[in-house]
Amino acid sequence: MKLGWSSKKELKKLIAVNPGRKKFEFPLPFTDELKVNGKTSEITLKTDDKFGTYLLYKGKKFPVELLYKNQNRYEVLLNGVSYFFTIETPTSYKRMKFLSSKSDGNKNENLEAPMPGKIVELLTEEGREVRAGEPLLILEAMKMQNEIQAPISGKVKKIHVKTGQNVLKDDLMVEIHAGK
Amino acid sequence: MDTNGKLFRKFLEREEKINNQFSIENAKKQHSKGKLSAVERIELLFDKDTFEEIDAFVIPAPLTTSFGKITEAYGDGVIVGYGKVSGRLVFAYAQDFTVMGGSLGSVHAQKINKIQQMALKMGAPIVGLIDSGGARIQEGIASLAGYAMIFKHNVHASGVIPQISVIMGPAAGGAVYSPALTDFVFMTNKTSYMFVTGPNVVKEVLNEEVTNDELGGAEVHSKKSGVSQMMYEDEEHTIQGVRKLLTYIPSNNVVNPPVVLNPEETPDYNERLRDVVPDDPNKPYDVKEVINLLMDVDSFFEISENYAQNIVVGFGRLKGQTIGIVANQPKVLAGTIDINSSIKAARFIRFCDAFNIPILTLEDVPGFLPGVDQEHMGIIRHGAKMLYAYTEATVPKITVIMRKSYGGAYIVMNSKNIGGDFNYAWPTAEIAVMGPDGAVAVLYRRELESSEDPDALKKELIKTYRDEIANPYIADEKGYIDEVIDPAVTRKKLIVSFEALQNKHVARPAKKHGNIPL
Repeated sequence: MKLGWSSKKELKKLIAVNPGRKKFEFPLPFTDELKVNGKTSEITLKTDDKFGTYLLYKGKKFPVELLYKNQNRYEVLLNGVSYFFTIETPTSYKRMKFLSSKSDGNKNENLEAPMPGKIVELLTEEGREVRAGEPLLILEAMKMQNEIQAPISGKVKKIHVKTGQNVLKDDLMVEIHAGK
Repeated sequence: MDTNGKLFRKFLEREEKINNQFSIENAKKQHSKGKLSAVERIELLFDKDTFEEIDAFVIPAPLTTSFGKITEAYGDGVIVGYGKVSGRLVFAYAQDFTVMGGSLGSVHAQKINKIQQMALKMGAPIVGLIDSGGARIQEGIASLAGYAMIFKHNVHASGVIPQISVIMGPAAGGAVYSPALTDFVFMTNKTSYMFVTGPNVVKEVLNEEVTNDELGGAEVHSKKSGVSQMMYEDEEHTIQGVRKLLTYIPSNNVVNPPVVLNPEETPDYNERLRDVVPDDPNKPYDVKEVINLLMDVDSFFEISENYAQNIVVGFGRLKGQTIGIVANQPKVLAGTIDINSSIKAARFIRFCDAFNIPILTLEDVPGFLPGVDQEHMGIIRHGAKMLYAYTEATVPKITVIMRKSYGGAYIVMNSKNIGGDFNYAWPTAEIAVMGPDGAVAVLYRRELESSEDPDALKKELIKTYRDEIANPYIADEKGYIDEVIDPAVTRKKLIVSFEALQNKHVARPAKKHGNIPL
């Protein structure tokens, strides 16, 4: 038999959310019209052999490239600037707001050496904001230069290692403070 | 039949009762916790209007003692049935947390058993959407027996139909073992958790304070324990992920995976493949770049992305055909094989073998991860799992050696002599018993000690070693490699070779089952 009750939900829009929690709504199905500062403008996405993929806005061409895509996380390079955002549905957006209101957002993440080795390069500094997956330092181990990435997004609280220093497995290297 | 008559009216009244039981109010209870209702989850999983519920009217087993009480609700807290996912038959059950906390009573368990048996008989995948407080305490032993039956069916169906568990709320105590027995475990970050004993017991016994999320949240299980293969940030994406996974795998072990063609063609000849692997053997790179250049556009679907990242496993497509990929990841732990990566790869290889999915191995491995830690934890026993899985697999198996291929790790990574069907190497390949530094140190220790300029001598010896031993040409001349190929033609080569292997048949002596070193 058919289900006794149906949620009868239809997806009417998608929401792009940037790390600063600013949201941009896109009604479904997609059109070329986009609201920019309250005014409706026409923006089209095009691809040709000469320019590659670009956005056409007010007769001007802005080159665009998809740098990273994983599940609902995207990074797009537009006109030389990279933008990071997630794509949410109205339900998942509500959930995201609900969960962020619950969490204290003050968690720290301690980054430890995954294997014994030598720090060959530091790529970040204390106080800098980093995004999950951003390289923080290069650890040479197993005769290989390994990029060590930030496990979470946040601020680099303290760096415990110096260039040229040897570390053992599980030595504390970087402390990251989640959130802002 | 008279549609105004008594008989038909009674039928309609029953239907109405079910309609009244489910409502937006019930759904809202779940929404207030950032979760979806069981009905909404079912609707997201299946193609529009294809789901058929069965056993909707069953009622919970009556209490036999005076301890606790039972909520009289149709369905006993679980929706079971079947429908279409991307046009293919799939069975599913969804536990409803709003009915007695989704607890598993004997009737609840019987419903799940019923569709487990149906799925097995019909040869279709089964998806469990789990959101349950655990065994129904009031029903006592009957609910434990219910779990036991579910586990038994899980094991019987293992390797016959794909089984997927989606954790969307709590799964505690015995309940965790059904997901653990299935092929893939999906979890939703922050609102799902799994543990054998909860934080209360941990506090009582060990006096340790720990939250649900810290003890058994999605992050813990997808990054640290490896219990869960897939983690998503919300339930809609989690279910989308399940739908996507189902497009790669066959309905059962006697059919082939579906062919899904992408209109956007991947070039068969691609010179960019020549540039991904750096000439300097100490420079890491992301092996996923190689995978994406070889597979159909956007077809790579990674499994266990966050666990044991030194090996990459997942499904991809070559001209629409599903391929299981196992690749060393030089970017993480230098691509060495350790305990976790061996277990991760072994499990993936065995899934592919059980479900007729050919395996592609992309190799760049300096060896097993050395150290007291690994040896004492049993890298010998665990590393053997991957070796066993590769050797046991009878599906088509192809290896491409991209760069390093040393020692035991060379053998393990689907080498010719453990049963690789086609073994290719790029000109950058280094195949030998050990790396140049190690080899020189072992064979020329005395000469180096007595030399006036040991550094220069070492350099010279390393060069000789690279020229004469650590290259792909000796292996090629001796037949351990079928062909040294230009990276640019790799995709073409793979398509042709997998096609040649389409009717591969291997006969093994009859046995009850092998004894994989668990």
